[in-house]
Amino acid sequence: MRIVVCMKQTFDTEAKIALTADGLIDSTGVTLVVDPYSEFAVEKGIQFKEKFGGEVVIVCIGDTQAETAIRQCMAMGADRAVIVTDPAMDGSDQSATARVLAKAVISQEPDIILGGFKSVDSGSAQVMLRLAEILNLPHVNVVTNIEIGEGKAIATRELDDGVELVEVSLPAIFTAQQGLAEPRYPSVKGIMQAKKKELKRLTLADLDIDPTSVGPANAKVKIHGLTLPAPRKGGRIIGGEIPEATADLVKALRDEAKVI
Amino acid sequence: MAGVWVFAEAKDGKFRRVILEMLGEARKFADHLGEELWAVLVGSNVAELSSLLGEHGADKVLVMDNPNLAAYTTDVYAGVTLGLINTYQPTAVLFANSNMGRDLAPILAQKLDTGLITDLTGITYGPEILFKRPIYAGKALVELSFAANARPMLLTIRPKVFTPAEPQTGRQAEVITASADLNALTLRQVIKDVIRKASTRVDLTEADIVISGGRGMKNPENFKILEEVADILGAAVGASRAAVDEGWREPQYQVGQTGKVVSPQLYIAVGISGAIQHLAGMNSSKCIVAINKDPEAEIFKVADYGIVGDLFQVIPILKQELQQALASA
Amino acid sequence: MNATRQIYWNIQGHIAIYPLFLVAIVIFAYGFYLKYRLWHVGQPVDRNDRKGARAKSLIGFVLGHTRILRRRQPGIMHFLIFWGMVCLFLGTIVVALQSDVGLQIMHGPFYLYFMSLILNIAGLAVLLGLLIALYRRYIKPAEGLDNQPDDAVILILLLVIILTGFLTQGLRIAATHDPWAAWSPVGNLFARLFAGLGAATQSEVHRALWWSHLFLALGLIAYLPYSKLIHIGTAPLNIYFRSLEPNGALTRLDLEDEDLETFGAAKLTDLTWKDLMDTDACVRCGRCQNNCPAYLTGKPLSPKALIQDLKLQVHQQGKLILAARKTAAHPTTGEHETAAGSELDAGLDEQNLVGTVLSEDALWSCTTCRACMEQCPVFVEHVPKTIEMRRNQVLMESDFPAELNGAFKGMENNGNPWGLGWAKRAEWADDLGVKVVATDGAPEYLYWVGCAGSFDNRNRKVSAAMVQIMRAAGIDFAILGTEEKCCGDSARRLGNEYLYQSLAEANIETLNGYGIKKIITQCPHCFNTLKNEYPQFGGNFEVIHHSAFIAQLIAAGRLPLQAKLNGTITYHDSCYLGRYNAIYQPPRQVIEALGLKLIEMPRSQRESFCCGAGGGRMWLEENLGERINMQRTEEALSTNASCIGTACPFCLTMLEDGTKRKDVAENIKTLDLAELVQQAIQSAQ
Ligand SMILES: Cc1cc2nc3c(=O)[nH]c(=O)nc-3n(C[C@H](O)[C@H](O)[C@H](O)COP(=O)(O)OP(=O)(O)OC[C@H]3O[C@@H](n4cnc5c(N)ncnc54)[C@H](O)[C@@H]3O)c2cc1C
Ligand code: SF4
Ligand code: SF4
Repeated sequence: MRIVVCMKQTFDTEAKIALTADGLIDSTGVTLVVDPYSEFAVEKGIQFKEKFGGEVVIVCIGDTQAETAIRQCMAMGADRAVIVTDPAMDGSDQSATARVLAKAVISQEPDIILGGFKSVDSGSAQVMLRLAEILNLPHVNVVTNIEIGEGKAIATRELDDGVELVEVSLPAIFTAQQGLAEPRYPSVKGIMQAKKKELKRLTLADLDIDPTSVGPANAKVKIHGLTLPAPRKGGRIIGGEIPEATADLVKALRDEAKVI
Repeated sequence: MAGVWVFAEAKDGKFRRVILEMLGEARKFADHLGEELWAVLVGSNVAELSSLLGEHGADKVLVMDNPNLAAYTTDVYAGVTLGLINTYQPTAVLFANSNMGRDLAPILAQKLDTGLITDLTGITYGPEILFKRPIYAGKALVELSFAANARPMLLTIRPKVFTPAEPQTGRQAEVITASADLNALTLRQVIKDVIRKASTRVDLTEADIVISGGRGMKNPENFKILEEVADILGAAVGASRAAVDEGWREPQYQVGQTGKVVSPQLYIAVGISGAIQHLAGMNSSKCIVAINKDPEAEIFKVADYGIVGDLFQVIPILKQELQQALASA
Repeated sequence: MNATRQIYWNIQGHIAIYPLFLVAIVIFAYGFYLKYRLWHVGQPVDRNDRKGARAKSLIGFVLGHTRILRRRQPGIMHFLIFWGMVCLFLGTIVVALQSDVGLQIMHGPFYLYFMSLILNIAGLAVLLGLLIALYRRYIKPAEGLDNQPDDAVILILLLVIILTGFLTQGLRIAATHDPWAAWSPVGNLFARLFAGLGAATQSEVHRALWWSHLFLALGLIAYLPYSKLIHIGTAPLNIYFRSLEPNGALTRLDLEDEDLETFGAAKLTDLTWKDLMDTDACVRCGRCQNNCPAYLTGKPLSPKALIQDLKLQVHQQGKLILAARKTAAHPTTGEHETAAGSELDAGLDEQNLVGTVLSEDALWSCTTCRACMEQCPVFVEHVPKTIEMRRNQVLMESDFPAELNGAFKGMENNGNPWGLGWAKRAEWADDLGVKVVATDGAPEYLYWVGCAGSFDNRNRKVSAAMVQIMRAAGIDFAILGTEEKCCGDSARRLGNEYLYQSLAEANIETLNGYGIKKIITQCPHCFNTLKNEYPQFGGNFEVIHHSAFIAQLIAAGRLPLQAKLNGTITYHDSCYLGRYNAIYQPPRQVIEALGLKLIEMPRSQRESFCCGAGGGRMWLEENLGERINMQRTEEALSTNASCIGTACPFCLTMLEDGTKRKDVAENIKTLDLAELVQQAIQSAQ
């Protein structure tokens, strides 16, 4: 079975987010990691390989820094990788990203395609599904389990009030939610082996994609600017008598924090 | 033809609150554009819900009622919705950022070769309409706009953010009934089973809201009231290691360094002092509430909201207040 | 009259002793050789440098019995038997020299004092020692001892040898009416028993007993390497070859070495020959186990069992390995193969250590507190073996308790085990205006805060206290701030050498980059690894633990401590401060200077009982047996002191956790020494 996992590199979730002078996200000193949702997918892919044989291929769009994330996946057990690096990709939107991914993914002739249902940075939660649509493959979104059968798979899809089991025929795309698989900690043996695994570096030209068809100019959605939220008002003690304070708390949770 | 559409996802003959919130905001959106507000009702036995949509601001309700639409599957819903969009050519379509919306919107966006902004939390109306959404788990916000050729504009709306319009009783929307030939669609997803989490509590690590008790709970019985509060909120109940050590909760509910790591939208720490071993398991929660009688407790240093007081006094009131607040929704 | 006696009285053909002795020696040598071969299925390691220091060890620990005597009863027992036997053996040599080399030495005062009196006392000493041993084993079994047939065989054999010795002497005295009998008081006593016997009987019984004594003694020699008495040879060897590295330094793994097929120890052959020899030096005295916090709180780990189970493996697996190597060395092709991999060729499926000598639960139960190694009279090295096995589990198998995943990732991505954002590391100092090296330049002393001191609100108070103390003493200090990373101690002791090295190298690069020379730490774990392990990676600093530093400041009169604190305190020795670095007195000096009355716990200093957090246990849940910190807290509370003093952030957490659970935290405070000093400074000002 050939398992292709779409992997994205992101900021560590604990990273402090700051803006540069020109209002962009400041990445200086930030620890970069495999996106946690991608990581669930990578782990699941490796588990499939261990169970059914075959290989796990990582497909990634990113710059050279992303290669450390790829090596990390290889250290976990992925067999090889394809990375698409092209300056033209900077500022591309999800639709362009999905188009490029589609080319890279399909060239691997996958039996199963996995990826995170979202990433922790942009969190737009649409690339994998756009990919499914482009490749005209069935998908199951936000899954916490996948059982492989003969030519098909049954995935557990998260609902707002439960789960459902959805059957699709393979090849198909599944997007990982937390709970799909607990990523393993790579062994040093794995890290050593990873250094020697095949990493194919591609540009858009290699994939027969016109660089002028991607990038900000072709984005369906344009970025206007980034802002930082008002800093946490940290430790606001709601004073007053208990009944009033409690009522105020509920109000604050609802109207200010908007969490209930 | 044009219009701002709200995809009014219904379940069991009811709307979730977010649908009304969407109608509230979509009304402003439509007014800004000088277009109509349409609600789209797709499902089985949903027609009678149209009046509610009218009362909440919809000008037209587009109904596609078909017994075969009882359960959501991507291919069926995407197929019929695409048909409706192609027929009526809306300017924008709003979906809830629910599991249905999260699945349907990206597929449609790709089918329509248009843009999609997910998890929307704000709209600024001006010469160019700007859409705001959180990135980096809310640690930054980005403002976006749709390219001129990106129509319809597709959006998924974060629940609990926008305000529903005041319902106007008696306000009627024009109902347009649509139909589709479902047989023409290829169905690639087959639902084998649906497991509803009725009252069984949500899983700790996946819950949106977690309420945890610590040594301050004094005994296992007192956890009952936390469970009651949790039921109201649809929350999971966690515990500090101290509470687990006392045997008041099972070890699998321990939150912290050597327990579970959670990062819900809301974390309520009750009678927990806030040792770092506990913080390590919950400090990335979006909003932290602390209830503790000791004003010096470390937990207040990380809490967004705190109440200094006896939890046995606070929790029953909290339960009542929540009941009221959520009932009115 | 010249005092002497006739050698080999009543014995014909004594010369047969020599061939018999030769036979015994051959059997002995063969046995020892077999063992030697078994040890050397292990990896090579150089333990023969610094010969002078090694020789000195022998004098102190073997001849002086310094360690053995730490435990009174068994210490005396061993001392008596050891020195008794040494004297008796010397006596035997003297006889041989006189009779068959022709040295005329066995007369006069030497005969009377040494050959008669002292040897009689020596025999008596052995006898006494044996009685103590028998008592400890069979009458009132001592903690930690298990009885095996071998133990009984040895004790009885020795007993019979000594008794036959006295009996032959008694018979000789009786039969020869030895005029110097009074110089052999015990022999003389026995002589009285036989006074009534006829001369012929005396002579016949004497001869029989003499030969029995001889055969038994030679038998003992032959039996030696096949019994635990092998420790007569292996214990001194083990002491000679003991590690002379600092206690706190684990060995460095060369992770760049591409030829290494495995890291850490998966199998017997991955351990060193010294590790394997350890098992034959172990005398099953149980001292290690009696002091092991894991064992004493009901966890499935006993350091004694670890060594004994390993011994079993050495004997069972080792033999198979040797056999396999032999076949591999002479395969039909005639080609000679070196050790590595040859077992495999011979189709030998070597067993994993984890699962045979140590269960996984046991492996992860060790706090690396070093109580076992500190107590072991023969310098068995338990902790390094455990670490090697952990290394293999982590580096090769990626098989470790799930809780560690987060801790490892936290250290990796954010430089602290809690995984809190690294950018927040210096937040504790924000309001204190502490200098940061990057902006304020290199200070005289770098204050190394550590993860707990940086992130844990409780321990941040200790950091704040340190700042106040150093300011009061006018110390020029600064912190690394967000450039500081976890020192890596936990990672290393959890077997994650890869992570450890990356942390250590990053820190050393930062420190060296600023030209830092002197470092103050408040965490014994940071202290130990910075001081003893960073030199392995090119980090050579003068590292001072805050307890020692404060003690120095006080001694130099640099702290305004006019006000004395009142009350009683008990002080908990941190393993990594005490046993690992022998810092026992400075904390006590500080306590004394503060005017507090120190009440020691039953187990303190060298014998201190771990808090339960060392060896990376801080990041693991403790589900097996009783909680170690609770046992220690109870011990601390048993002193009735009004305060528990610590000098380690982990100990502080553990003991405070204990007092909270006991619901006494309100009244019995657990405080770091720095906090106490801060109180004294504040009340002085
Ligand atoms: C190795 C190790 C691992 C650990 N792992 C974890 C872990 O994973 N998770 C974890 O939680 N802890 C963990 N701990 C324990 C941690 O250090 C703390 O001891 C623990 O979190 C304290 O729990 P608590 O806050 O419930 O209890 P306490 O610290 O005793 O706090 C109780 C709080 O309740 C308040 N209170 C009491 N009565 C009332 C009342 N009537 N009304 C309001 N407030 C009241 C008190 O003011 C106090 O602040 C670990 C410790 C160690 C050593
Ligand atoms: S180091 Fe401590 S815990 Fe580990 S085996 Fe030795 S005595 Fe036991
Ligand atoms: S290892 Fe040392 S302390 Fe432990 S039983 Fe053996 S000899 Fe005694």
